[in-house]
Amino acid sequence: MRSFAFWSLVTAILAYMTLPTLVVLMTSVNPTEILAFPSEGVSFQWYEKALTYPDFQIAFRNGLIVTGFASTLALIVGSAFAWLVQRYSFRGRGLLEAVLWSPLIIPHFTLGFGFLLLGGAFGLQQGYVMIVLAHMVLVMPFVTRAVYVSLANIDPNLARAAANLGASPFQVLMRIELPLVLPGMAGGWLIAAVLSLTEFTASLYVTGSRTQTLPVAMYNYIREYADPTVSAVSAMLIIVTTLIMFIADRAFGLRRVLAIDTH
Amino acid sequence: MTPHTRPDSPAGDAVEIVRVRKEFGAAVGVADVSLTVGRGEFITLLGPSGCGKSTLLGMIAGFVTPTAGKIIVDGVDLTEVEPYRRDIGMVFQSYALFPHMNVFDNVAFGLKMRRLPKAQIEAEVRRAIEMMKLTGMESRRVRQLSGGQQQRVALARAIVIRPKVLLLDEPLSALDKNLRAQMQVELSDLHRKTGLTTIFVTHDQGEALSLSDRIVVMNRGEVQQVATPIELYRTPANGFVASFIGEINALPKARYERAGEMAALVLPGVGRLTAPARAQWSFNDGAEVQAFLRPEQVRPALPGEAGANLLTGTVAAHIYQGSHTITRVEVPGIGLVETRVTGAEIISAHPVGTPITLSLDIGEAVLIAA
Amino acid sequence: MTQRRPFFITFLAPAVLTAVILVAAMFEVLQYSVRAFIPGALDVGGFTLDNFTRINRPIYWWVMLDTFYISFLTAIFSLLLSYPVAFALVRARRDWVRSLLVSLSITPLFTGEIVRTFSWMLMLGSDGFINSMLRKLSLIDMPLQIMYTRFGVVVALVQFSMPVMIILLATAISHVDRDCEKAAANLGASPGAVFWHVTLPLTLPGILSGIVVVFAWTMSAFSTPQLIGGGKVLMIANLAYLQGFSVLNLPFAATLSLIALVSALGSLVLMKSATSRIEKRLAIA
Repeated sequence: MRSFAFWSLVTAILAYMTLPTLVVLMTSVNPTEILAFPSEGVSFQWYEKALTYPDFQIAFRNGLIVTGFASTLALIVGSAFAWLVQRYSFRGRGLLEAVLWSPLIIPHFTLGFGFLLLGGAFGLQQGYVMIVLAHMVLVMPFVTRAVYVSLANIDPNLARAAANLGASPFQVLMRIELPLVLPGMAGGWLIAAVLSLTEFTASLYVTGSRTQTLPVAMYNYIREYADPTVSAVSAMLIIVTTLIMFIADRAFGLRRVLAIDTH
Repeated sequence: MTPHTRPDSPAGDAVEIVRVRKEFGAAVGVADVSLTVGRGEFITLLGPSGCGKSTLLGMIAGFVTPTAGKIIVDGVDLTEVEPYRRDIGMVFQSYALFPHMNVFDNVAFGLKMRRLPKAQIEAEVRRAIEMMKLTGMESRRVRQLSGGQQQRVALARAIVIRPKVLLLDEPLSALDKNLRAQMQVELSDLHRKTGLTTIFVTHDQGEALSLSDRIVVMNRGEVQQVATPIELYRTPANGFVASFIGEINALPKARYERAGEMAALVLPGVGRLTAPARAQWSFNDGAEVQAFLRPEQVRPALPGEAGANLLTGTVAAHIYQGSHTITRVEVPGIGLVETRVTGAEIISAHPVGTPITLSLDIGEAVLIAA
Repeated sequence: MTQRRPFFITFLAPAVLTAVILVAAMFEVLQYSVRAFIPGALDVGGFTLDNFTRINRPIYWWVMLDTFYISFLTAIFSLLLSYPVAFALVRARRDWVRSLLVSLSITPLFTGEIVRTFSWMLMLGSDGFINSMLRKLSLIDMPLQIMYTRFGVVVALVQFSMPVMIILLATAISHVDRDCEKAAANLGASPGAVFWHVTLPLTLPGILSGIVVVFAWTMSAFSTPQLIGGGKVLMIANLAYLQGFSVLNLPFAATLSLIALVSALGSLVLMKSATSRIEKRLAIA
């Protein structure tokens, strides 16, 4: 009986967590502009509208550009840094780590504002360079952590054994360490990409009308119109991100990357 | 298989370790160790954990930088040479097999790094794999192998590069008891077949005694004794070596007295133990010495036996070990003395708590200046 | 032998450059916060501390207090709702149940704040899902006003913060030595007593860090109060945005952003010391 009560409670809480998502999916196929619960019929017109709406098209393309550059740069810089932290101790390491981890704590609007002002100082405001830099800084802790965890799981004797067999430091890096952290890097890159693609607050500050990313375009749309077009965009985003996360978990053990150990 | 000794190897010693020292901050890991390893020799670094043996091995392989001293292999000073240019084979305690490569690629790795022609790599790897009885497993993933097989892959990988020296870092410790005994035999075979100069690190005295040409006993970063297994067991250089190798009874400190051909140990409160003096007992009359006796050099006295070296005590415990029994006897003024006799008769003949008289073979005892 | 550090500079340089850019951006915020505001111009004046003295007005105090209050409520409710889920997630016997729970509780983290905020707008609106359902069941005649209230904002914020809270709690719960619980049961403790006297105290560091992380994150919430609060609920991020983009008072916006940053950092520092003290008391550090 106690167990039944407990699982009912857990189910109710999970319903609270997932219901909004289901409602978005539901409204995205609403046949009319006026929402009804439950909806009377199914229509895909809002998907059509979402996919043909120029603002969303441009924003989606902008988002892909920003995400592609930001998460790849974060991957390169973050992996190198994770390797460094794992391997060497040096003066100022703690400070550098703290600075690079800090975007997890810095409010996104503060960070976005900072990059806006920094862009202004260099005449780069609302340009791709600043957007990419802001996103890169925001997602780098996640990539760094993913690579760091993978590196920490490698037996340090493997590198020694390879060196002992005649592999130069570069060969050890390319033939032993890189292949072994590749899953972690891929998982980290996917997390970074999803976070960058859906980032809103900082983007609101650093993007302009020509460079806005999808979440910013959605925000602007919501403030003006009240039809289910945004439901359709949201539904597509939910499906895509869920799919990516599912694949990432299956292929690269996302739970380990996120440090959720359930045993 | 052709002998693995390198045709170009110069004459002289294979490895010379010259006053090598390693400090970790204020702590001394290895204290001025000097050691020479002959060509083709199987030498063992033996000692408790933390004695510096693994650090010394790491310095030979180049993973640990010595604070001072030199490491010379085949007449070449390698102290400043990076690990990957040393041509020293090593088998790690955890084997350190590359998990993303199969057996063949693991064994071939060192040869690929040396950029040998493909056909030659193929041939050499096949020979090594055959030698380690791994034929047919070339394309297996290393995670799918048993502990013993992983061990063989690690060995094949280390010997295929024809190293100047083979280092073995406690390679048997991860195996269970039966497999360990079997691998000991295989290691011995491998050494005989390849003739490789081998430095073996272990904390297991049994492994050390059965495998080695010579054993280096280490403690607290210092070499205690370098000797053949038999010398080590029979004539340990000091109390640490005596207690570390095999079981031994340490008697309390005694005064050494010499009277012609006879020597005597005067134990305060116990009495005199006497034996014909031995050549190596070169102590001054009245010197303080400590005697060490193996359990097999102590036996229960025969009924009615009389003589000089008898001690009476109380049986404290019997430890039955199948072929023999270890009996612990509490002797007043000395403490626990162990005796080792074949069979189990002693257990019923002298129950725990009853008195027993022991006869000590002092002539075989190891005497060390205290 | 000299110490060799292959790739040291090569790998360090990009990280240092990134850090420098980030610090420069934060420095710009600091720099603007001590500049004078020139109405009608984007350029700023000379050095001044006026922006900080300006904070000392009731209207801004109320925004700050509201921000703290909402963040606090969110953290507490997030904890209460997350603990059972985290517990189930760690202790479920079947593998597939654990996988399902992880998926359901973690996925919302990755859909982004706009999608999540929008979905709550659909839930809470006067013609939204909740009001429609309640009306269908004839429980209400007039729609409940949940949108544009503090309550609505908290309801949405709690759901946002739960994935992070669940991750932190699950980690803490999974580190509890089950033998301690068995020992307590063996000594006669009922399941409830085991939980209260063993499990809960041992997960206290996780609970504390969960509360503070959620508190700090919620303090910087922007889109939820912006869209669900609809101007009726103003948190510090909304005030900063308003000052920066409507009033175009960049210096004051910078001051508010800086205060938010310092509050977030401050609560984390507080947590660090509190957690380490608790861990020391529990001797599980």
